[in-house]
Parts: sequence; C-alpha cells; structure tokens
Amino acid sequence: MIELRHLVKLFGDLVAVNDLSLEIRPGEFFALLGPNAAGKTTTLKILAGLMKPTSGSARIAGYDVQTQPLEARRRLAYVPDFPFLYDKLTPREFIRFTGQLFQMTAEAIASNSETLVTRFHLDPYLDETIESLSHGTRQRVAIVSALLHAPEVFILDEPMVGLDPHHARILKDVLKERSRAGMTVLISTHQLGLAEEMADRIGIMHEGRLIALGTRDELRQQSGTAGALEQTFLSLTSQGVPQAADRPRPA
Amino acid sequence: MPPTSNPTAPPHPLRLLVQVNLLQAWRRLAAVRHQSRWLTALILTFLGGYAGLAFLLFHKGLRFASSFPGLGAVLIERMLFLLFAFLFVLLLLSNLVISYTNLFRNRETAFLIPLPVATNTIFQWKFVESTLLASWAFLFLIAPLLLAYGLNQQVPWHFYPVTLGLIALFIVLPAAGGAWLAVLLARHLDRRAFQVAALLGAVALIAATAFWLRSDPVTDEQLETRVLVVLDRLLMRTRFALSPLLPSYWLSAGVQEWAEGALGTAVFFGLVLLSHTLFFGTLTLAGMGARFYHAASTVQSRGGLLARWTWLRVWRQRRHRRARARSPLEALADHCRWLRPDLRALLVKDIRVFWRDTTQWGQTLVLFGLLGAYILNLRHFSQQLTHPFWIALVSYLNLGACALNLATLTTRFVFPQFSLEGKRLWIVGLAPLGLPRVLLAKLALGSVLSLTITVGLMLLSCWMLMLAWSHTLVLTLTVAVMTLTLNGLAVGLGTVFPNFREDNPSKIVSGFGGTFCLVASFLYIVGSVAWLAVAAPLHSLGQVGAVRLAAGGAAFLAVSAAIGWLPLRLGLARLRAFEL
Repeated sequence: MIELRHLVKLFGDLVAVNDLSLEIRPGEFFALLGPNAAGKTTTLKILAGLMKPTSGSARIAGYDVQTQPLEARRRLAYVPDFPFLYDKLTPREFIRFTGQLFQMTAEAIASNSETLVTRFHLDPYLDETIESLSHGTRQRVAIVSALLHAPEVFILDEPMVGLDPHHARILKDVLKERSRAGMTVLISTHQLGLAEEMADRIGIMHEGRLIALGTRDELRQQSGTAGALEQTFLSLTSQGVPQAADRPRPA
Repeated sequence: MPPTSNPTAPPHPLRLLVQVNLLQAWRRLAAVRHQSRWLTALILTFLGGYAGLAFLLFHKGLRFASSFPGLGAVLIERMLFLLFAFLFVLLLLSNLVISYTNLFRNRETAFLIPLPVATNTIFQWKFVESTLLASWAFLFLIAPLLLAYGLNQQVPWHFYPVTLGLIALFIVLPAAGGAWLAVLLARHLDRRAFQVAALLGAVALIAATAFWLRSDPVTDEQLETRVLVVLDRLLMRTRFALSPLLPSYWLSAGVQEWAEGALGTAVFFGLVLLSHTLFFGTLTLAGMGARFYHAASTVQSRGGLLARWTWLRVWRQRRHRRARARSPLEALADHCRWLRPDLRALLVKDIRVFWRDTTQWGQTLVLFGLLGAYILNLRHFSQQLTHPFWIALVSYLNLGACALNLATLTTRFVFPQFSLEGKRLWIVGLAPLGLPRVLLAKLALGSVLSLTITVGLMLLSCWMLMLAWSHTLVLTLTVAVMTLTLNGLAVGLGTVFPNFREDNPSKIVSGFGGTFCLVASFLYIVGSVAWLAVAAPLHSLGQVGAVRLAAGGAAFLAVSAAIGWLPLRLGLARLRAFEL
C-alpha cells in the first residue's frame, strides 16, 4: 500500500533521507521512530507530495506520488503536527469543504462526518469559528476532516500533540479499527509507548537511513535487548546524536 | 476502499477555494463591528481623508498644468504616461513579493498540496489571490487621479467604466510577470543568494536611475529665451514611458484617447491590452502548475539549486565552520562592557533577526536609498535656489520627508517587536533581565539605528543645501528629537496594543494599535514641521525674537516628549503588571 524505493532526499549538502526502501502492507499500522532530524518528517512530506524526492520513488496504493499525484492523493490523508485550518470557518464548514475537495457527495459527507464528529465529541463546537477553539479541539477537527473520505492510507506526524488522554484514547481506537478494516496507517512519533501499543511493525530511522525494521519482538532481537521499546530504541540509535552538517552524501 | 465519488455533484476545487476564502474575508470584514469603533472610524477617516485630499490635489494640479497655453495638454499626457509606467514597475515588484509569500510561505498552500487538488488549481487560486492583494492599493491610489482627470477633461460618463475595464485588463500583466518571477526566484535562489541578488539589483537600479536622471544644467538665459528647447530636453528624459512595448503605454493611451473622444484608437489600445492579457493570463493560468510545484518542493528542500555549485558549497562549509566560532557581531558586542551580558545577548539576537529577514532591511534600504538619492541630487538643485525662503522651505520639506519615511519604518518594524517577542516570552520574559529592560533595549536599539540614518541624511541635506552651521544644528537636533519620539511612540504603543496571536509583523501592524501608531506619527510629523517652519523660520532666524524662538522650541520639545514618553510609560506600566 505504501512503497518507498531507494528514496533519497538532499537538502543542499545534507542527506535527509538516504536510500530508504520500505513496503507497508494494506491494513498495517506502521510506526516510524527515530531521533530528531532522522528524516522521518521528510519521508512523510515526500509521501504527502509536499516535496519531491531527489531520487527514488514513493507510491501510495500503487500510484506514484510524483507521476500520478491526484490518484495517490485521493487515497491518502495526511495530518501534520500543526495542521492548517481556516480560522474564520466553523468545523462544520471546514469538514464539508474538505469532503467536497475529495469530490464527496453531500450525503456522503453528512453520513461520514456524523459518526466521526460524535466519536470525537465535536458536536458542541461545530458552529463555533475555528479561531476560538483550543489546540486539541483543532487537532480533532483536522483528524475528523482527514478521515472523512475513508482514506486507504492515513499518514500522521505526531498525532497525539495537543490531545488530552481521553481523546488520545479515542484516536487510538479509531485508528486501530480503521486499520483492521483495511486502512494503512503510518505515524511518525517520539512517543515510544504509542508505537509499542499500536504498531504492527516499527521502523527506526537514524541519519536518514532505516536502521531497523520489524515487529517489537524482532527489533528486540536485532538490538539484543529485552524489555521496553525504549531500551531497544536507545540501543539501536546509541551511535550518538548525528550532526547534520557531518552527514555523508548518499552512495 | 475507493472514496465515495460523484463527479457531477461537488463544485470544482477552484470554485470551492474561492468560496471558502470569500467567506473568510466576509467574516473578517463582519468582525469589524465587534472591534473598536475607534479603529473603524480611524481607518475610514484616514481612507476617506486620503481619497478626498488626493482628489483635490490632483484636480488643482491638473488645472494648473492645463493652464499653460499650448503646453498643458503635452505635460498632462506625459505625466499620465510616466505615472502608469512607474505604477507598472511598482505593481510588478508588489506582485513578485506577494506571490512569493503566497505561493511558498503560506500554510494554506502546504495544506492544499497533499489534497486531491491539481497543483495547477492551487496555483490558479494563489495567482488570483496575489493579484487582488497586490493590486487593490493601485486602484485606491489612482481612483482620485482618474476622477480628477475625467472632470478636468470633461469626459462623458462612459469614460469611467471603460477605464475600469482597461485597468482590470492591465493589472493581470504585472501579476503574471510577478508570479513568473516569484516561481523563478523560488526555484533558483535560496535565501542567501536572494539577499545578494536583491542587494546587487538595488545597487544597479539606483546607479541606473542616478545615471538616467543626472543633472543637465540650464542657464537662466535658456530658461527665459528658449523655454521650449529646455522643456523638450526635460521631456526627453521621460520618453521611456512612451515605449509602445510597455503595457502602461497601452493603458495610458487607451484612457487618454477615450477621454479625447478618439474611440477607435482607444478601442485599438484596449484590444492590444486584451490580447496580451489573454495570452499571458492563459499562459500563467494554464501552464504554471508543474513549475510551481517544483519550485515549492525546492523551497521546502531549503538548499537552492545554487547549492549544486561546488564553490558555493565550499564557501558555505567554511561559513558553517566559522559560525561555530564567535561571530564579528558577538565580538563587537563583547566590547560594550558597559552593557549587561544578557542585554548584549538580546541586542545581538535582535540585530541577527533583523539582518536575516530580507524583507525588513530590503524595505529600509529602498525607502532611505531613494531619499538619499534625492538628497544627493540637491547639489544641482541648490545652485538654482538663491532665495533663503526656498532654501528654508526645502530644508523643512526634507526634514518632513525623512521623518515620514522613518514613521513608516518604526510602525512597520518597531511597533510589532513586543508582540513578536510575546511568542517567545517563555525565554525572554522568564529571564532575569525583566521585560521592562527588554523593552528599553528595543527602544535603544531602534533609536540608535534610526538616528544613524536620519541624522546622517539630515546632515547630508544641510550640506547639499549649503546651510549655515547654526541652521544645520537646529535641523539635526530636530530630526534627532523626532527620531526618539517616533521610536518611543512605536515601542510604547506596541506594548499597549500587543497581538500575541500573529507571527506575521505586517498583520500585527494592521490592527488598531498599528493604525493608531501610523496616524499619530504622521500627525505629529506634519504638525511639528509646520509648527517649526512658522515658529523658527530658517530664512529669517535673525529677525525672530529670542523669546519666540525659545517658546517655539520648548513647545516642540514638550509635545515630542509627551508623544514619545507617555505611550512608553503606559507600556512599561503594563509590563510591570504583565502576567506571562
């Protein structure tokens, strides 16, 4: 469902993503972990079409995000860590607008949003302007809008930022349900507990490379550690915090 | 699972984007009624005042120009060609800046790209939005002129809608040019390369303008006996505005021909404008999506294409290595041992932020560069100025121009400083430095930088006008007092009316506090210069009694102190009670 082949992204001299190849299956919940500046967000941005890869390719549901962008984006939902919302719209208007951009009918928007709005407790806020909402509520509006068109692939960058424990739980439940129903979920996070609890497979990026990939148990085996994911993560990334300017150019 | 789709039901994404943004704009406008009535009244008065005053001035000016027998029509015609030529260049620059920001530094664009909206549609919407944002001021600026011109020429009623139509066609051309340039710049120049290019471009532009407008001495005899020859020489310098390749020429010619009743010729120029607008408009709207996307990706990727050049990479690596050591700015700050270390750190930070924001020093450079070029040219003008009254008048006008320029900058850059710091209050506000001291440091930095420019320009102006040292001293001290006052006013009002929700300084300035600051600054400058010109006329200082001079100076100082100090005091009081 998500396919990355020899993906390379250079920022001038800096190698942000270095020859990354990865395949995430339909219905899989995948967590991308890594220290700061490991290349996680860059990878997500390439998948979302926000930037072009320097070389290599990225595919969503079989469609190349560069050569068949509209086909890929119709099947994708992307929520960044600080999503953009139109301040002067109400959540109801914003949700309708997003649905229309996905060419959904009014009936489909109404029926899909009703369930999600209730689930995320957005009813009291539906007719308030977004500028008056708290950060967490805005995050919930963004998530509901993203899920509205029932994407085949859902990409989230730090999805729990701003959510209270109650709504974080709801989001986890919804993601797990959708994942079981066939939606592929890719999250980038620093919350190791979230990855440990939710992910079918975990990838760890370091200095632009995917240094470890597998289930929680497979990662433990690879690192030779036992116990919590934190130990595994620290062991695998213990080469030291990378200096951006010192990174090698890609092979 | 494929998305639920019914291609006939929902509107086209472009229409949706227009609808949503219109709704947003309407709600912003409607929100004005919940804002301060003072703000609304102030803005409306300011806008109405400008339009009315501009109309009166244009009307009187055009009547005066047309009163020259035989020459009036030529002068008015040439002035219109010149005006539209300069406005074309300004529109091009305005579109370039706004398109760049709107296409590549805009969160809505980043939101839309991952959605199933064609990049060409995103570009089309951003192009429309940028064109409207960049051009509304143009319409506002020329509306009083065209009304005055129409009345002066006694045109029929249909002149106005036709002119409006021609202008609507015209604004598309600089908009298309600006959008193309913005995409090209984003694609090929990163921040550093853009700064260098902007600096070189500004220097080249100033040099070319100085060369083009170099002095052409005219003797008194020529002025008395060969007026037409002199006028012809003067008009020769403006012939570039008559180039038939310029879109501004088509507009000016179309407008003027229609006003004169030559409808056939006017329609011809209208069609020339229409064909070019259709061609370049279609080219821009239909073919820029891929280029825009590529440029947006390049901007996101930080390193511009120039980073591919080995020499530039090596230079950058050296800079990175040097950056690890102390910078010259920090080394300089270290020498100011009389300043507390934390204060030095704050000043170094503020100077760095200012320098790294090209738009900040770029605008400063353009505004004061133009003023400097004008003052330098006074050396030719001053030879014609023999009467003390005119010298005094030009001196005071220079003082006013310098202060007005400064007022735009203090409002634009000094006023939002506290609001911008508010976003980082967790570090600056919690530091032992204390917020009042932070504010005073900003005042000191703004004042020192402004004083360097305004005092320098005023000394240059006095030198060019060959003023006596006593007059130079009066004017220099006056501009220094005005500089301190304007900085105090901007810092004070910026603290009294903060806006912590905005990151964009231009949006902070557009609120009540910013508008109030600008209007108060302008009123203070106009009032002070007029007062000083009356109370202390430079051309007859010796004839004015000492008491009148002292009273005039004291009144100016008292008003300046009140306008600069009161808002500052209010701001400091607010800070002492400020809750982080």
